[in-house]
Amino acid sequence: MSAREISLTIDGREVTVAEGTTIWEAAAALGIDIPALCHSPGLRPVGVCRLCVVDVGARTLAASCVRECEPGMSVRTDTDEIEGHRRTLTELLLADQPETSRREVSTGDDALYGLARDLNIADVPFPDGAEAHPRGFDDSSPVIAVDHQACILCDRCVRACDEVQHNDVITRSGKGYDVRIAFDLDAAMGESTCVACGECAAACPTGALVHKRVLRAVGTSEETA
Amino acid sequence: MDLLRRLMAVQHERGAVDDAALQRIARETGEPLYRLEGLRSFYPAFRERPGAPARIAVCRDVACRMKGAKGYARRLREVLSDVDAEVEEVSCLGLCDQAPACAVNDVSLSGAAEDIRDYSLGVSPLPLSPETPPNAPMPTDPHPGPEAHYATARALIGGSGAADARRDRVIQALRDSGLRGMGGAAFPTGDKWAYTRQAPGGPKTVVCNADESEPGTFKDRALLEWQPHLLVEGMIIAAWVIGAQRGIIYLRHEYERARRALEQAIAAAREAGALGGDVFGSGKGIEVEVFVSPGGYILGEETALLEALEDRRGEPRNKPPFPTVSGLDGRPTLINNVETLAAVPVIVERGADWWRRQGAGDYAGLKYVSLSGDVRRPGVYCVPWGTTVREVLELAGGVPGDRALKAFSPGGASTPFLPASALDTPLDFDAMREAGSGLGTGAILFVAEDRDLLDIVLAQTRFFRNESCGKCVPCRVGSHKAVQQIEAALAGEGEPGLDDHLETLNATLARTSICGLGQVALLPVVDALARFPDEPSFRVLTSKEAT
Repeated sequence: MSAREISLTIDGREVTVAEGTTIWEAAAALGIDIPALCHSPGLRPVGVCRLCVVDVGARTLAASCVRECEPGMSVRTDTDEIEGHRRTLTELLLADQPETSRREVSTGDDALYGLARDLNIADVPFPDGAEAHPRGFDDSSPVIAVDHQACILCDRCVRACDEVQHNDVITRSGKGYDVRIAFDLDAAMGESTCVACGECAAACPTGALVHKRVLRAVGTSEETA
Repeated sequence: MDLLRRLMAVQHERGAVDDAALQRIARETGEPLYRLEGLRSFYPAFRERPGAPARIAVCRDVACRMKGAKGYARRLREVLSDVDAEVEEVSCLGLCDQAPACAVNDVSLSGAAEDIRDYSLGVSPLPLSPETPPNAPMPTDPHPGPEAHYATARALIGGSGAADARRDRVIQALRDSGLRGMGGAAFPTGDKWAYTRQAPGGPKTVVCNADESEPGTFKDRALLEWQPHLLVEGMIIAAWVIGAQRGIIYLRHEYERARRALEQAIAAAREAGALGGDVFGSGKGIEVEVFVSPGGYILGEETALLEALEDRRGEPRNKPPFPTVSGLDGRPTLINNVETLAAVPVIVERGADWWRRQGAGDYAGLKYVSLSGDVRRPGVYCVPWGTTVREVLELAGGVPGDRALKAFSPGGASTPFLPASALDTPLDFDAMREAGSGLGTGAILFVAEDRDLLDIVLAQTRFFRNESCGKCVPCRVGSHKAVQQIEAALAGEGEPGLDDHLETLNATLARTSICGLGQVALLPVVDALARFPDEPSFRVLTSKEAT
């Protein structure tokens, strides 16, 4: 028995999808790439970075990665308002980034940096968090280099470790601005039950979790830009 | 619930939940270590290492700040300096009418620093509490005395006629009464009960949100301590109407006196046949239990509350789906505030028409308001809906010291301040919204003419920053940066155009945050900047030159 079909419009274009399809997925089917940092197909969506928000005509904007399509919905993904919020959210995250992204200097695919380029962000109107509030490195794992300063709390490593690999090592620890990722009971990664499968580093969009072998291969493990 | 209860038992016995305890719990339950770390690190009730035997928590939020909380904390540190004690600052304890307030090892009280010292050293055994409960039933209690408690539920549930028709009549009565959620969101209660009743699937649950933590709000504290039987009866009626057999009262841990009162009321309800296997011959069992929160304002957000009940970090969920459809463990769940549920017995007993007649003019019903700040007689007052703010202020003795009023906020930290010219606004959700603010929880904070309004609105924004769960970017980072930038301006390092910058940032938080906390976090400051353009304390933010 096939799922019910739903029709809606996204940016003025009509699309019909199976019930349960998210707005992000429906947009992708139309060739509309809604920006996102915490979302990755293959991972359960959590809607925490808020970059993917769209206007469905409600009091607040909806995170398209988690919001299911509803019949007759009229969605806008590209208003000036939304672009302004994407810019502000990206600036907020950039304010706390370290001087160098170990991902950007090694594999060149730091998603936050990519977003900043796409939005033409030059100056960040927020106080720097890296100097005022340093979060530290964890180099204890033989395989993964951890730079807590580069972490944007996107939850991708948490889902990768706990829901994809079921190694059950990573959690968010703490509350509010001080939240960071932790391994087991907040042990150093190399001293935790981490089995160095690398799934977290593969999932990580920033320089927070980077494969040490990759850093060594490009000769950047100690380098700062 | 079991995992968090277990952690709280360990915390209570040992004064801490250390790694060894978590390792043991992991072995016994099969829970991975990371989950236990996630819980321990999130909830304020848990500590990794035991602290001093005497822990004094001093409230740092707006009503207490207005009554000298900073000096109070300093004095407490002085009088306790020769003792193994620690003094820390915490968020609103719900004792705003007795400001400045503190808690000693989780027992909330207020009093002179020397008296607090005596209590924490065990010299004076009784917790200080100047409040005495009223010795007559409160205006929304239909029962003349304890022997008549639960009579409304008995007549309803044990009544004659088709049960579903009786359920329909309760929902109609709630709709006709105009009762709306008293926790701040004002959702029509009859509708919410109807949706939950109709929602497919089960088992269904009734949850009472007794996590009252909005600064300036303490009406639920009074209702819980003085008429807990009304809440329990309201929950029993709700459970029977929607087809639930389980009720959970989610209670903030700072309300220990309320917890005891609730346990007594639950035992009395059981004695009366109102709880147990076959309630009033209905053939249905109903049970109600108390779950004590491990702490944090965010747990008053209904989906964060559900996350806690499911033994996870109290981080709000994306909505939809809403709890009426997918709540506790993904099943239909009715979540109502204490005051909302406590109003149900009298509406069922005396009817919607009676309830409507209690309001002023065309307004309907009775409202419990919490008054604090610059008012002579702070406290909880029961007034007709539609009473004006001015009338309530007069009832409570007016502003002390014959000062004029500069501003008031009608509904807790989430509601913008209005100027004295708005004093004749009736206490009503729609009227208050039209006036530019919101009734929220009906927690009215009065600010006299000589107060620094920036200090007050910044205290509200700091509260939200302190209580942010940290899950989503706009709230976690935005609230922190905003407070940082305002504090820099106050320290003489401001940047020009800070007010415009805050307005832009506020818009992002308001429109993209997952939950209400982030959505309102900067509103107290940003709204006040626009609404009080002549306020001298705001110049440091509105200046177009670098300070």
